[in-house]
Amino acid sequence: MSAPGLAQALVQVASPSLGHAFPPHWGWYVVLYLFLGGLSAGTYFIASLLLFAGDARDREAVRLGYLASFPLLLVCFALLLLDLGVPLRFWHLLLASERVPAIVFKPWSPISLGSWILALFSVFSSAAFAWALVESGRLRWEPAARAAAWAASMPRPLLAWKAVGMLFSFGLTGYTGVLVSATTIPVWHNARLMGALFLASATSTSYALLMLLLLRRGGGRAGPTIAKLSRADTFSMLLELVLIVVLLLVLGRAARPLVSGGFGVLFWVGVVGLGLLWPLVLHRKGVVRWAEPRRELIAAVCVLVGGLLLRFVVVVSPQFPAVSLWAL
Amino acid sequence: MAKGFYTDTTVCIGCKACQAACHQWNELPALNDGVVELTGDSYDNTGRLSAVDWRHVRFIEQIPEDRGQEGFLKGSRWLMMSDVCKHCVQAGCLEVCPTGAIIRTEFDSVFIQQDVCNGCRACVPACPFGVVELGQDGKAHKCTLCYDRMQHGMEPACAQACPTDSIRFGDVSELMSLADQRVADLRAAGVPAYVYGKEEIVGGLNCFFLLVDEPEVYGLPSRPRLPSEHVPEGLALSGLTAAVVAVGSVVAFRKERMDGMGGEGEPVGSAPPPTSGPPAPGVVPGRDTVAFMQAIHGANEASRSRRPLRDAAPVTDACGGGGCGSTCGCHA
Repeated sequence: MSAPGLAQALVQVASPSLGHAFPPHWGWYVVLYLFLGGLSAGTYFIASLLLFAGDARDREAVRLGYLASFPLLLVCFALLLLDLGVPLRFWHLLLASERVPAIVFKPWSPISLGSWILALFSVFSSAAFAWALVESGRLRWEPAARAAAWAASMPRPLLAWKAVGMLFSFGLTGYTGVLVSATTIPVWHNARLMGALFLASATSTSYALLMLLLLRRGGGRAGPTIAKLSRADTFSMLLELVLIVVLLLVLGRAARPLVSGGFGVLFWVGVVGLGLLWPLVLHRKGVVRWAEPRRELIAAVCVLVGGLLLRFVVVVSPQFPAVSLWAL
Repeated sequence: MAKGFYTDTTVCIGCKACQAACHQWNELPALNDGVVELTGDSYDNTGRLSAVDWRHVRFIEQIPEDRGQEGFLKGSRWLMMSDVCKHCVQAGCLEVCPTGAIIRTEFDSVFIQQDVCNGCRACVPACPFGVVELGQDGKAHKCTLCYDRMQHGMEPACAQACPTDSIRFGDVSELMSLADQRVADLRAAGVPAYVYGKEEIVGGLNCFFLLVDEPEVYGLPSRPRLPSEHVPEGLALSGLTAAVVAVGSVVAFRKERMDGMGGEGEPVGSAPPPTSGPPAPGVVPGRDTVAFMQAIHGANEASRSRRPLRDAAPVTDACGGGGCGSTCGCHA
C-alpha cells in the first residue's frame, strides 16, 4: 500500500476527534525485537526466579536461561539498529550528541526509558551469560572461573545484583508495551494494559522456550523442572488471557484494528486459540493422550508462535487497518 | 516571547503561494520525486503535510447533495486552509523524542535538529495532527517556523508570501487578540467563526487557526491527545503485573512441595556435568550455581527461619571441594 493510501486508510479507522497521527511504519524489525526482547528478559528473570525459588534439579534450566538471554539481546540490538533511520547515530539515544558525555534520559519517553533499560540490562544479561558459560563448563578460562567463584562466595550482594537485574528485565518486557501507548493512534494510545500484556506474554513465551531447550537436551532428568515450568507457564497464560479480555473491554470500539479483518483472524485463531487456549489444554494432564514430552513440545511451539503473532497483530494492525487475511 | 502563525481560513484563496515559498526557501524536494499523482479530490495534489510539504493547503468542498436544484451550486461552500505544524505549547513530538533532537527554541517554536535526529520515528505517531514524517534521508522533518529566518529578524517564508494575509506571523498573544477581534466581527456578521488552538487544545497552539466549521471538517482533531498521557499508568500496571508474574511463578515452582506430592528431590549435583572432557584446573562445572543457590537459601533461612531448599544437601562450599565424601555435589 502506498504511503498516502495508507494514511487515508488510517484516517478512516482512527477516531477523527482524537487525532490523525501517521503510522510510524514499524515493521518486522520492531515485531521481532518486541518478541525476542521479551524472550531475552523473560529467560533472564525465569532463570533468576529458579535460582531463588527452585532447587538443585533446576540448575540446568537456570544455566539455559542465562545462556539464552544474552545472545537474544544481541539480536535485539541488531534489529533496533537496523530499524533506525540513521543507524550509526544509535548512541544519540543514550548520550547528548552535542555535549558528550552528558546523557539523555527522558523517563516519560518510552524509547528513552527503554534504551537505558536495554543498555543496563545488557550488563546483567552478559554477566549472567558469562557465569553460565563457566558454570556449564563451556568456558574454561581460569580468571572467569575465579570471578564466578568470587561472585558465588558473596550470596547477599549477588542476590541483590540478580534482583536488580530482574527489575531491568521486567522493565524491558513492560516498556515495549508502553511504547505503543505513547502514540496518538487510538487503539495503541488507550491500551494502558499493553505493557502488562506484553510482560505476561514474554513470561509465557520464555517458559515455552526454556521447556523447548530442556526437552532438546534430553527431557528425562529435566522432568521435575519441566513440570514446574509447565505449571508456571499455565499461570502466565491464564494471566495473559485475563489481560487480553480486560484490554479488549477497556478499548471497546477502538480495538477494531486488532480484532477485525485479517488481523482479527490472526488474533482470535493464532494468538488466542493456537497460542493460549490450545497450549492450556495441552498443559492439562489427561485431556490429550499424548506422551508427556510431545505434549509439552507442541505446547511450547504453539506458545512461541502465539507470542510472535501477538506482537505482529498489535504492531502492524493499527498501521494497516481493515486488511483482509489474504492481503497480509 | 512566543512567535507563531495566525491562519485566518476565511481569507485564504487557495493560491498555494505559502507552499511554494516554503519549498523554495527550505529547498524541499518535490513530493514523490516529482512524479505527479493526482489525488482526484480537488485542486490539492499533495494531499497532506509530509516530510517534504511543511505547508499544505487543504481544499474542502461542501456541496449539497441536491446540487443545482435551487440554482447553480446554491448553498455550497469551498473552505480553504493552509495547514502547518502547530508548534504546540505541549508538543507530543518533543515529549517522546528520546535523543533530544526535538527542542523548543528561544521563539517557543518546536524544532528538529537534523544533526541529532537518528530516525527512531517515536515522534511520527506521537503527533496528533499528522505533521512529522520521516524523510528519505531517514530523519524526521517538519516545519521549522523558518528558524533560520527568524534568527535574522525575518518572518517565515509562507507568511511573507501570503497575498491575502491569511497567514500572519508575530507574537502569539498579539495574534490571538487580532484573531479574537476577527471572530467577534465575523460572529456579528452571522458567521460561526472561532479560534482553533486555545489552551484546551494540547495547552494551546502557537500556530492557531480561525475556522468556520467543526475542526474535523478541516482534518483537525477536536480532542487531540498527548502521547505520554497513559505512560505512567502503563508503567504502573506493568510493574503490578511483574509482581503478579513473579509471585505466581514462585508459587508454581513450589507447588509440588507445598502439596507434599513431589517427594524429595534428587541430591544436589547428581546431574552429570553437561559437557564431556576434563575441566580446566580450578573450574568445577556446576559448583558455583549449587553453592550460590544453597548460600541464598541458607541466608534466607537465617533471616526467615524457613528453608526453601529442603531437598538440597548442606552448603557445599564448606566442604572445600571434596571433604564431604561427594554428598554435596560440588565436585561430582
